[in-house]
Amino acid sequence: MFRLLRPFEYLEPSCVAEAVEMLVRYGEKARIFAGGTDLVISMKKRQIVPDYLIAIGHLSELDFIEAEPNGTLRLGPLATHARLAASPLVWQRFPMLATACNEVGTPQVRNMGTIGGNVCKAGPSQDTPPVLVSLEAKLHLVGPSGKRTVPMDQFCTGPFCTVLAQDELVVEIEIPPLPPRSAGCYKWITKITATDETLAGAGVVVVLKEDGSFEDVRIGLGSVAPMAIRARRAESLLRGTWPEAAQIAEAAQIASEEAEPRSRAAYRRRMVQVLVNEGVTEMQRQIAASMQEAGR
Amino acid sequence: MKTVATFTVNGLPHEIAVEPHQLLIEVLREHLGLTGTKHSCGVGNCGACTVLVDGTPELACLTLAMEVRDKSVLTIEGLAKEGLLHPLQQAFVDYGAIQCGYCTPGMILTGKALLDDNPDPTEHEVREALAGNICRCTGYVKIVEAVLAAAEVMRKGGN
Repeated sequence: MFRLLRPFEYLEPSCVAEAVEMLVRYGEKARIFAGGTDLVISMKKRQIVPDYLIAIGHLSELDFIEAEPNGTLRLGPLATHARLAASPLVWQRFPMLATACNEVGTPQVRNMGTIGGNVCKAGPSQDTPPVLVSLEAKLHLVGPSGKRTVPMDQFCTGPFCTVLAQDELVVEIEIPPLPPRSAGCYKWITKITATDETLAGAGVVVVLKEDGSFEDVRIGLGSVAPMAIRARRAESLLRGTWPEAAQIAEAAQIASEEAEPRSRAAYRRRMVQVLVNEGVTEMQRQIAASMQEAGR
Repeated sequence: MKTVATFTVNGLPHEIAVEPHQLLIEVLREHLGLTGTKHSCGVGNCGACTVLVDGTPELACLTLAMEVRDKSVLTIEGLAKEGLLHPLQQAFVDYGAIQCGYCTPGMILTGKALLDDNPDPTEHEVREALAGNICRCTGYVKIVEAVLAAAEVMRKGGN
């Protein structure tokens, strides 16, 4: 037997401004509808029963993947995970984001689900937030009083909670360029289920100085806290140093202490340690190798 | 409020009055009688309801019918041509890749999207592509063999 949806009115705004007007007009009774892979499930389960669906899937002004000459990547919220995972622009600049997008759900869900929806859902075990947090992405929001920009690490306030107001819409995800001598990766481990939900994930960005010391390191953790978080104490242990294996291991240990996993806490913490250790070590080696290559 | 919209399913346009809350799978099965598209988990995990929307595997149980107006939908009923099975369908029969059959339409359509995009996939690529289609009978080995066999037939110009 199908789980059917309760009737609602289907609205198709012709532009972002009209979508915002509809959000203002219908308030809590309205929901933005894009890929549907999450909202339709919540509607089937009667967790969300909207009177109005504001469908934005056809708005081309929200559907783009663009790179600027300075390396900034601009993503429209309607970009699907499958398109991001296959995009040469994403692969060239931020392969870690392509990796994370390829890890979301199943192939069919990646074909349908959008990065904007993924970010707004704010589920603690999602793959893109730890990467976007470590890349210091910014979200551009539009509401009735205009535009504002929120850094990714200030967007989520708890599990499934964000600072997005009821009458606001995410219109762009901006990823600033990484400096020279930098590299990033996404490391993760999953549960073994139909959709292999992520048990622990780490987005790691390392930037080296010419002398090989750590100019910057950013560690985003996912699935191990109410929302994606930065492991800032671990980062500060490494920043400005020439870390060897023991020090990276210590930083990974600290990162695991910064995690606040709810269930399977000991195992998830241990996995954070492994993932961060691997990520930082591999990125340090990768940048050092390409510096050596360039120096020849 | 019902909207009369044109849906292109298996190459044929259908003018249907749909309610906005109707799912694509309801329209396919109830309005068009295309019961080859199966409903199983209803929450996007199993892939049984997979259809191709403009050539891409999507889940009919999580798609509103309204979303596919002006798009082309392919269901399992649209694969055989003049009574001749598509190479994927024939390979699934030949390789014993069908047991209860419930996952088969979704498997074959996902396989078709893969082979249309990548005519010579590796076994790993086939397994990755089919990762969103769950089979509780076969253990997947025969399904993967069938897709690889169909790929070879199609590369040689079959259908």
